[in-house]
Amino acid sequence: MSRFFANLWKYRRYAIRSARAELLGEVAGSYLNWLWWVIEPLCFLFVYWFVFGTLFKAGEPHFASFIFVGLSLWEYFNRTVSGSVTLIASNRDLVTKVYLPKYVLLFSRSLVNLFKLGISLLLTFGLMACQHVPLSPYAPLLAAAVAILYLVSFGIGLILMHFGVLFSDMANLVRIGMRMLFFLSGVFYNIHTRMASLPRVRFWLLRVNPAAFCIDEARKALFFDPVATHFPSWQGLVWWTVLGMALCAAGVWLIHRNENTYAKTI
Amino acid sequence: MSRPLAIRVEDLSISYRGLQRTSLRASWMRFGQRIAIYEAVKHVSFEVPEGEILGIVGRNGAGKSTLLRAIAGIFSPDGGTIDLFGHTVSLLSIGVGFNRRLSGRENIYLSGLLLGYDEAAIAAKEEAIADFSELGAFLDKPVRTYSSGMYSKLAFAITAMLESDIMLIDEVLSVGDAQFKRKSYARMRELIADEHRTVIVVSHDLRTVEELCGGILWLDEGRVVRQGPAAEVLPAYREFMDREFPKPPKKAPPAKPAAKPAAPANP
Repeated sequence: MSRFFANLWKYRRYAIRSARAELLGEVAGSYLNWLWWVIEPLCFLFVYWFVFGTLFKAGEPHFASFIFVGLSLWEYFNRTVSGSVTLIASNRDLVTKVYLPKYVLLFSRSLVNLFKLGISLLLTFGLMACQHVPLSPYAPLLAAAVAILYLVSFGIGLILMHFGVLFSDMANLVRIGMRMLFFLSGVFYNIHTRMASLPRVRFWLLRVNPAAFCIDEARKALFFDPVATHFPSWQGLVWWTVLGMALCAAGVWLIHRNENTYAKTI
Repeated sequence: MSRPLAIRVEDLSISYRGLQRTSLRASWMRFGQRIAIYEAVKHVSFEVPEGEILGIVGRNGAGKSTLLRAIAGIFSPDGGTIDLFGHTVSLLSIGVGFNRRLSGRENIYLSGLLLGYDEAAIAAKEEAIADFSELGAFLDKPVRTYSSGMYSKLAFAITAMLESDIMLIDEVLSVGDAQFKRKSYARMRELIADEHRTVIVVSHDLRTVEELCGGILWLDEGRVVRQGPAAEVLPAYREFMDREFPKPPKKAPPAKPAAKPAAPANP
């Protein structure tokens, strides 16, 4: 792992510059330019709020803020994990012409996604202020939920980045898997109330689906909940931190072992 | 006094594990089979003193480009070591690593950072690169909108202007129109002429190698066959190639067709 950290430090300027250029490149040709970073999450929020809050009459208090937290974290997870599968193939020119530790590509992409998550969370705070949502005393734990999501997404991303080079149909599988996870992550419902009668299912869902766990913890951290059972799950935080580190270690090992071959394979 | 070394390659081996891009179904059928390992470079050792121009020759598949990429750091060695004594290195082949979604100007900075330059140093060279590339307003457009000629011009301009201590040239460049070719060849000669710059040239064009290089490394099937001055190694290599791939005998010019016999008269 020391080689991994040394490489991240060595290529940090490249990763940051590349992320910045990528962000500016995304909005460069549009009339509204950087405003898209704000408009896009707001539009998604409106769609989900209208469908689930109005048509399906979801009963969660402060539903718009509730859904925005879930959506922001889910989008980060989805973009990082789904994007990682084709990351090496889509940077073919780079990978075959210069040496760049391959996880630097994922690191740079994660910075792009982290920036978008930051904007979404700022909008969430604004929305919470508009809706007069009482802030929970556990609010600082939002940082822990985001950090764990980052760690786990990075680990999964590293592993998928490797297999994405080898298997041409990996992107299709991941797309289907992510769609399933989306509905099992509680983006537009509360896992605790919807699965109140299924405690075992709920427990395992929060232990195997990182997005479900992090969204749940982020909501617990932000929304004041007088129900005593909804304290942050310390055990879960430790579980996902350890698992996230193990996934990252496995991913780094895979990349170090095989990165010689990527340039040849693609 | 002998010159200090710029490159030392010791007992270098590079293998490709037989990983092929495949479908999940096909890989399931092959489950349990051993992964083939192909050794592209086998126990290669050589040294290049600072300021020398070394040519690498060999048949296709001899391991020349793999060796060059290993020196450039694109592949890490499976065995042995490569020591560049702290020198910066750049690989000049057809195309530098570009991010096609970003503008040419942004790619200048990203390529520079990958070559080990800091942003201030790249900014100082930015205009020179822009001028050399002759891209004008296109420099601020995404690279994916470039023609292949424009792409190559920018690639050459970046590597030629962001000079490195060690230049690795994989096949002599022939990019752009005739005028740009002349300009890039002149710039390459200028770069090679610097007595502190070490250069390795890989080419099938033996005349170019003979003209540019003092020393030659001859590779075959991943191993060093011979290394020494160009005057000694190149004649032996030519003889080997003529023996292995004899030139087809020149075809005799087709004989003039005989005059058509007159059609027999109908009985």
